[in-house]
Amino acid sequence: MDFDLFLLFLQQGIVSGLVVGSVYALLALSIVMIFKTSEVPNFAAGEVFMAAGYCALFLLVFQHMPLWVAIPVTLVASFIVAALFRRGVLKQVAKASGSPVNLVIATLGLSYVLKGLVRRTGFGDTPRSFPALISTDSIMIGQASITKLDLSIFITAILVMAAVFWMFAYTKVGRAMRAVGMNPKAAQLMGVDLERIHMLVWGLAAVISAIAALLISPKILMTAEMGSIVTMAFAAAIVGGFMSLPGAVVGGFVIGITENFVGLFISSRAIVVAPFVAIMLVLILRPQGLFGGKFAIKKV
Amino acid sequence: MTMTRRTLARAGLTTLASLGFAAFAASASAQEPGLTPTSIKIGMFAPLSGANMAYGFDVANAAKMYFDKINKEGGIHGRKIEVVLEDDRCNANDLVAAVKKLVEQDQVFLLNGGSCSAAVVAAKEYVVRSKVPLVMLNASGDGALYPPTDYIFGAFSISQYAVGGAMVDFAAKAFGAKKLAYINHDDAYGAWNLEGSKADAETLKVDLAVESVSPTINDVTAPFLKLRASNPDALLIVTYARPAALLIKKAAEMGFNKPIILSVTGTANLSQLTANVGGEAALKNFYVQDVLADLPGGPKIKWVYDMYKASYPDLAAKPDHPQSYMPYGIPSAMSIVKALQAAGPNPTREKVIEEMKKLNFDSGVMAGPVVFGPNERAANKATIFIKFDGKNQTLMPGVFTSRWKYKG
Amino acid sequence: MRIIALLGALALLVALPFFTTGYVVYLANLLLTFTVLCLGMHIVIGEAGQFSLAHAAFYGIGIYVAGISGTHFGTPFPVSMLLGGVAAALVGLVIGTVALRMRDIYLALATFAFGEAMQWVFLNWNAVTGGPNGLRIAPAQLFGLELVTDKHAYPFVVISAFIMLGLTILISRARIGRSFRALRESEVAAQAMGIPVQRAKLAAFGLSAFFAGVAGGMFTLFSTYIHPDSLGFSTTILVLTMVVVGGLGSIGGAVGGAIVFGLISELLRQAPSWQEIAYGTILVLFMMYAPKGLFAFLSDRMGRLRHG
Repeated sequence: MDFDLFLLFLQQGIVSGLVVGSVYALLALSIVMIFKTSEVPNFAAGEVFMAAGYCALFLLVFQHMPLWVAIPVTLVASFIVAALFRRGVLKQVAKASGSPVNLVIATLGLSYVLKGLVRRTGFGDTPRSFPALISTDSIMIGQASITKLDLSIFITAILVMAAVFWMFAYTKVGRAMRAVGMNPKAAQLMGVDLERIHMLVWGLAAVISAIAALLISPKILMTAEMGSIVTMAFAAAIVGGFMSLPGAVVGGFVIGITENFVGLFISSRAIVVAPFVAIMLVLILRPQGLFGGKFAIKKV
Repeated sequence: MTMTRRTLARAGLTTLASLGFAAFAASASAQEPGLTPTSIKIGMFAPLSGANMAYGFDVANAAKMYFDKINKEGGIHGRKIEVVLEDDRCNANDLVAAVKKLVEQDQVFLLNGGSCSAAVVAAKEYVVRSKVPLVMLNASGDGALYPPTDYIFGAFSISQYAVGGAMVDFAAKAFGAKKLAYINHDDAYGAWNLEGSKADAETLKVDLAVESVSPTINDVTAPFLKLRASNPDALLIVTYARPAALLIKKAAEMGFNKPIILSVTGTANLSQLTANVGGEAALKNFYVQDVLADLPGGPKIKWVYDMYKASYPDLAAKPDHPQSYMPYGIPSAMSIVKALQAAGPNPTREKVIEEMKKLNFDSGVMAGPVVFGPNERAANKATIFIKFDGKNQTLMPGVFTSRWKYKG
Repeated sequence: MRIIALLGALALLVALPFFTTGYVVYLANLLLTFTVLCLGMHIVIGEAGQFSLAHAAFYGIGIYVAGISGTHFGTPFPVSMLLGGVAAALVGLVIGTVALRMRDIYLALATFAFGEAMQWVFLNWNAVTGGPNGLRIAPAQLFGLELVTDKHAYPFVVISAFIMLGLTILISRARIGRSFRALRESEVAAQAMGIPVQRAKLAAFGLSAFFAGVAGGMFTLFSTYIHPDSLGFSTTILVLTMVVVGGLGSIGGAVGGAIVFGLISELLRQAPSWQEIAYGTILVLFMMYAPKGLFAFLSDRMGRLRHG
């Protein structure tokens, strides 16, 4: 490979990796938020993302609604469905057993139901898209070419991440969320309404997934299977330590860039396996992830 | 819901009936299962649920409606075709379960099924050992066709070896290409396809720059950049619809202006493709491969779409129906009907197989004829190419195929 | 009461091939294979409380090793199966040595990543696995006896399943089983009781992989073909679902979960357009109202009926 080409690959790999990494980062944020407060890895995160995308598609393309109606409706609907799932289903599951694996299986159940519902509409098979919310004209960064949509995906990911940080760090409700995550009993004693906090976290996590769906459905195209991208988000979350919000975002970028570099410098065949190798390497070198703190043993 | 209840009820009834019928069937037609003086039972299987439903659900429906048409015209030698349909989920374990159920429980005369190549290959040994004819639906299924067996017939859509070779042949003839960028999937389909492409590239002295990607790929930047860096005369895309659209869009974003040729594996829905690649601008120098005799809904094959509407008014009213691969079910069903007719009033599985091997007819639905032979089990190897600019489709002259030959 | 039920089940198993078709026997073979997979997962998750999500990979290793050894080297099938189990166990021990430094979600995701990576290896190691073309498996054989049909394979599948079930019960009753459970309840307490925590974890991990490998060997008795598509995370998840819905932590739950859930999945094939929704709803309802599993739920109901 000559040096010019190497430079081009390097630049494009970083830029494209950051963009696709932002998507992983947004979904990873939604997973980590829920995990921090209820220790449930949400296996339905990908399907919530997918269903939100189809909700937007339905409103925009089939109902011809204007953006200013379709977007809020999608976000609110995602919030409500996720919050109700927490309230109506997971609360009962937690009460009935309390074992995290039962909660995981319940989220898995939700993922099947959502996929089945979307498929029953008949729109789930052909890859689809709705008009991109932002123009897909190309711009150059160095020698790397990206679209304005790509750039806005990246910026949105950063903004959402900042907003989530701010909420967790500086607002009353954010502090309550952290308290619930650290010690639910103590939080309850301090007057925190546990169920309300859980519903809020689930709802907000779904809103973040929905934002991701609105931004990238035109970019990756929608099918009922598009939720499988969540695997990359789990990879991002684990690289970042699974408990850390900035970790999730950095993890997303790491996975995105790794995928591109592996594709460019090793083999296109190896792109799919790169995130898994990254997970294993990170966990072998640092068993609690790049940003994970020292693991505290909870059960005594 | 009605469908569900009906199938459940039928499953229950057949279980009951099979007990009672066992004795009767043994005496009435000891020679061949699934055969009575007034009926002939055909076992169909296809993905009727899940992620791969688009590949087979309506293909099975198409075959079924063709059988219904034959029944209305009086059946075959006075026998009505009775279809038992099973969901194979495109998954090897479930497909084998469906096949074994059809053969052993439902005692069908022959099998007509399979839309997913890798899964249908899993049934090969069992079918051959049980000596049941298997006529595939739309699976290319090359893995079960080469080496040829006595019992399995397929590639009614087209053999993947032929798809790959024809792509190279077309690029070389139409654009005088000497260097081709080629992108396929890392699955069975992709492997067969690449083998066909390599055969033609060798004969035509064309260089192939190959990238293989997973069907689940989300970011196609890396493979595209590498292909572009090989400085090709044309880009051949033999992926499924979604990665194909992503690649075409990426090519437009990066200002790639050489011809792009998309294989039949990715041409599911052309108007949707235009929307997915961000509009007509991305399709300035764009060609698609097709195996149908005409454009979807075009005059030559309009009757297929009309028959679908008449047979399944509820389905036809649903979005995205008929699914794009629907017509592929017709040549498969036609072949069965022709072979059964030729096998005479007292057909046996062996007689039907002998007649299948002799088939050579134009279905009117596909670009090429259905041709089997003593050692040929892949029905179709001919493709056409269409220039598509986002709105209009123009047929390119010539019919293309591969130079690939099975070396057994 | 319980003994009668068990004897009834046993009689049914023995009599099965005499009054049903090969299709039913095929299902039985497949379900028994999944039962052994479930027993393996039961040991590592149910007994020892360690979340390993690489089951499909170990199952795949078992299938490929047993399949290749039988097909290309003509080993008698008990040897092939054992080789499959041992190979899976060895890989399991290596992975376990690295992975068991992690806990909980980290362990789960590390093993998940390993499973996905293995599926990729199965798909791309053409020379050994046949890659995307899949691998053809010759009929299993022993002293000139060839297992060609499902009915031929069935007795040996049943015997293997019973051996593995017996082994599970033995492990559970032995000291090692007690140390597994101590580990599950509290690692700190287990350590305080003098249990070598890391060794016990590794043993659970290796045994579980061995079971999955043997299950892979069982698969080669009645199957002629394997493709990497069937060796992905969805298979692991299916096994996890069976174990949890049957009742996490009980052997009966693992066995019952495999059989009941396997049958549900086969029956749902008759209702294609609703199956995903039905499957998901069943999972959710189980977790809401029968969290300890099917059998705990049933015996609880029965008990209530009996005692008013």
